[in-house]
Amino acid sequence: MAAITDVIPRPVSATGVWSWITTVDHKRIGVLYGVTAFMFFLIAGVEAGVIRMQLAVPENGLVSPDIFNQMFTMHATAMIFMAIMPMGAAFFNFVVPLAIGARDVAFPRLNAFSYWVFLFGSLLLHASFLTMQAPDTGWFGYANLTEKPFSPGAGVDFWALGLQVLGVASLAAAFNFVVTIINLRAPGMSLMRMPLFIWMTLVTSILLVLAFPVITVGLIELTFDRLFFTNFFNTAGGGDPILWQHLFWIFGHPEVYILILPAMGIVSEVLPTFSRKPLFGYPVVVFSGIVIGIMGWAVWSHHMFTVGLGPVANSVFTITTMLIAVPTGVKIFNWLGTIWGGSIDLKTAMLFALGFVALFIVGGLSGVSHAVSPSDAQQQDTYYIVAHIHYVLFGGSIFGLFAGIYYWFPKVTGKLLHEGLGKLNFWLLFIGMNVTFFPMHFVGLNGMPRRIYTYTSEFGWDFLNLLASGGYFIIFAGVVVFILNVLKTAKNGEPAGHDPWDAPGLEWSIASPPPAYNFAQIPQVLGIDTYWIVKRRNEEAGTPITGPEPYVDPETIHMPSPSYWPFVTALGTGLLAAGFLIDFGWDYIRFPIPFIGGIIAFLGVVGWANEPPDHAAHHDGGSAHGEVQHGEAHH
Amino acid sequence: MRLVPPGRAESSAPVPGVTRWKSTPSWFHRKQLLFSLGILGAALLLVACDADARQSTFGTAGPVAESQLLLFNVLLWVMVAVFILVEGALLYATIKFRRRPGDPLPKQVHGNTPLEITWTVIPTVLILALGVWSVFTLFDIEKPPASAAGDILEVTVTGHQWWWEFEYTDADGNGKFITTANELRIPVGKPVEILLQSDDVIHSFWVPKLAGKVDVVPTRNNRMWFQADETGTFYGQCAEFCGTAHAQMRFIVQSLTQEDYDAWAAGFGRPPQLSADAQEGQQIFNGAGGCLICHTPNGSDSPAVVDSRMQAFLTTETGVAPGPNLTDLATRQTFAAGLADLNRENLRVWITYPHDIKPGNYMGERATIYQQNSDGRASLSPKQISLVIEYLLSLK
Repeated sequence: MAAITDVIPRPVSATGVWSWITTVDHKRIGVLYGVTAFMFFLIAGVEAGVIRMQLAVPENGLVSPDIFNQMFTMHATAMIFMAIMPMGAAFFNFVVPLAIGARDVAFPRLNAFSYWVFLFGSLLLHASFLTMQAPDTGWFGYANLTEKPFSPGAGVDFWALGLQVLGVASLAAAFNFVVTIINLRAPGMSLMRMPLFIWMTLVTSILLVLAFPVITVGLIELTFDRLFFTNFFNTAGGGDPILWQHLFWIFGHPEVYILILPAMGIVSEVLPTFSRKPLFGYPVVVFSGIVIGIMGWAVWSHHMFTVGLGPVANSVFTITTMLIAVPTGVKIFNWLGTIWGGSIDLKTAMLFALGFVALFIVGGLSGVSHAVSPSDAQQQDTYYIVAHIHYVLFGGSIFGLFAGIYYWFPKVTGKLLHEGLGKLNFWLLFIGMNVTFFPMHFVGLNGMPRRIYTYTSEFGWDFLNLLASGGYFIIFAGVVVFILNVLKTAKNGEPAGHDPWDAPGLEWSIASPPPAYNFAQIPQVLGIDTYWIVKRRNEEAGTPITGPEPYVDPETIHMPSPSYWPFVTALGTGLLAAGFLIDFGWDYIRFPIPFIGGIIAFLGVVGWANEPPDHAAHHDGGSAHGEVQHGEAHH
Repeated sequence: MRLVPPGRAESSAPVPGVTRWKSTPSWFHRKQLLFSLGILGAALLLVACDADARQSTFGTAGPVAESQLLLFNVLLWVMVAVFILVEGALLYATIKFRRRPGDPLPKQVHGNTPLEITWTVIPTVLILALGVWSVFTLFDIEKPPASAAGDILEVTVTGHQWWWEFEYTDADGNGKFITTANELRIPVGKPVEILLQSDDVIHSFWVPKLAGKVDVVPTRNNRMWFQADETGTFYGQCAEFCGTAHAQMRFIVQSLTQEDYDAWAAGFGRPPQLSADAQEGQQIFNGAGGCLICHTPNGSDSPAVVDSRMQAFLTTETGVAPGPNLTDLATRQTFAAGLADLNRENLRVWITYPHDIKPGNYMGERATIYQQNSDGRASLSPKQISLVIEYLLSLK
């Protein structure tokens, strides 16, 4: 078999569709991640619109309860797993190698594989709409509602299988970034000189590596219950529905930090840049991020305060959850310290970063009120919690990611997003999110539960719901303005230059967009904010830096070649999972399609392992220090 | 047609779309008002925290909800103080330190250790103080006060998709067993201990004005307690997503004077007086309608019957589902889990096509009379339905 795959040459396309399918360039994969994640952000946003329109007035008949349940399930599932996480992955991909002075990630083909698996997993989940059986048991999929007797349709199967596929993508990406950050930093970049965003990527990746196996165990057990009649969560057979909740939230709470830490990393880059000051208390910000990552494992049962774990468990998780406010608060104070006394330039990226801090404070404070279990008994599963999570995930994660988009867009494309439209984008989102989500605090405290598709006027929730639904249109307008901004910029955007923000990170020392090889010469890192140090020294020496590192002939630098195999292996992996949706009901093999998927994936791995090293003989270069070690050992 | 329960007995009967405002705002109200003013302005404030709203966590009427509200209020004001300080600093810094043309490079400050220690220690102390107090409250409200021992009403609550079953093991102090549904009657001023059970999926039992929620989990026997300090109707609702009709799994708690409660408990389940029409309706109920398969109209269900209904539900596609006990139905204010006023017109809609009131309910999905017509409507004549209604309204 090796002989067969050995003779298939590596792909050579540098442009066109095939070049994107076979690319292993971290920058291109980052763009793929970003664009795909934004598409799912739009889909999930439309689902949010259906939810808000249904709830705008009491006793509304816009959608049936089943459709409504599908909408809130898919809205949250897509936003978390297919929009925010991969948007974070887009930045990990694009920025990490550039910011640590590397030419690519440690395993470029594994990187491509994780993107394609993410795409196929997402498409598998959304294919459920084609069968009119989208998942409808909530993004948390509480057992035993997800068991066959209560959810006989295929929705839960789509959900459980799709998430398992997405888990493969997340694990592959996370391992890749841990190894990349540990091993491929440029000389001089000690751990405590890494940019904050790199630190938060490292913490996030470690959380992913540890958290995803837990949910995967739960999802496999659920799939077994549904397809093979096991009794993990099936109460009629003696299963325990609370086991699911523990598995889900042991994953689910670290997941919250997986969603927010990348945004915190982005904000920690943007605030110093536009204040022209270094990050205040760098070691404290780093360590508070690590502490959040560790403490995130000790708080999961605060999602289960009403389950009946007893007063001792509730006390312990009340205290641990309240204490996580300390490292979070410390971060906020250090961000304030960063801008304090600075020279603040309110560019759009900076507005989003400041908006992140302002809104995250609200989400953090309301979080304290349901960290306390007796107080939470009134708030659990109400709109108060919906308000809280949207201040954290919309005001937090999404605003952080938008800050990142406006900050790094010129590096990705070489063009500056329009500032006027950017500011309009910011203010629409900022006002829209507050109009939508702030009233939810009150309507929740007035007793409105989550996940109800209708209510009547007697409960006094009408006005606040209408207000929240009105806010949706402002958010919608904000997103439209962003899309217009990208289109306008693509058409006639202002050239960015290599360093439009006078920023401190290494990525700004090279051209925009960066050449395929990133750095012609692997840089020597002088300290935290190394490029800032270099620029100031050069200014003092009277030779200010005016341009990026000059281009060199790419033929002189060895880079990993494109490959078909990540795509093939990912396709097989997706088919392996999707095949379980079709029960042939044969006597001995109920599910034949997964075997086909498994064989394709296996062939993909064999081809991957035996791939010829290169499409052309230019691996004579690469003598520069820090050459990419991409696991292609059999040259 | 209005499919809603009647308003509270007091003069403050709700008017749809119009927000009521207490004439004498409580201490909390006025403070809440100031807070809201600073953030959203007067319009929102009028409806923000309405203690009169049916399920408002601010309109407490019992010791458990009061302890929980006190804790929240203290946390809220700490939050408000922190919010003003931190957002104020953020806003101040953003305005004060804006870049002006020609500004020099600011002083490159890398940190300030004493300051950073301070803003780590202060929140830690504050958090721990609140945390310790929270833990005391948590243990405090875990069980009814010891002084009430021996004078506690015990009720077993069973959550079903999508209605509530209430069983009193000793309703009158003499061991009287009562099974009823969707309306819980309790004596005022007396602790009520609730045993929570489910034999389908997870639900959550929540009466905001009396106590925070506790989940109703199959395989577990959770307990909670509350006490109503005033008579009246308190509204509750399932708070854990439990499937299609989760939004419509409501119930009411009626807090009665001890005399009224005793009279209700003593009179419960007396054989009803049936007119000739009602007797005909009873025959349809037991026979052609097939209602008796799932609904017991006279007394408590035996555990064997309950179990067989559930087993049949789990193992068959149609025919059977656990249904609410209908004993003394005519004394209830509402039916269909608090969704509709109990009256002739609403019952007719319900029996004819239950999905009009509660889409997805298992009566409409499974009962045989709804399987026989292609449009899913009951295969009973209007006359037969009238007779069944006559019978149902005689159950008192």
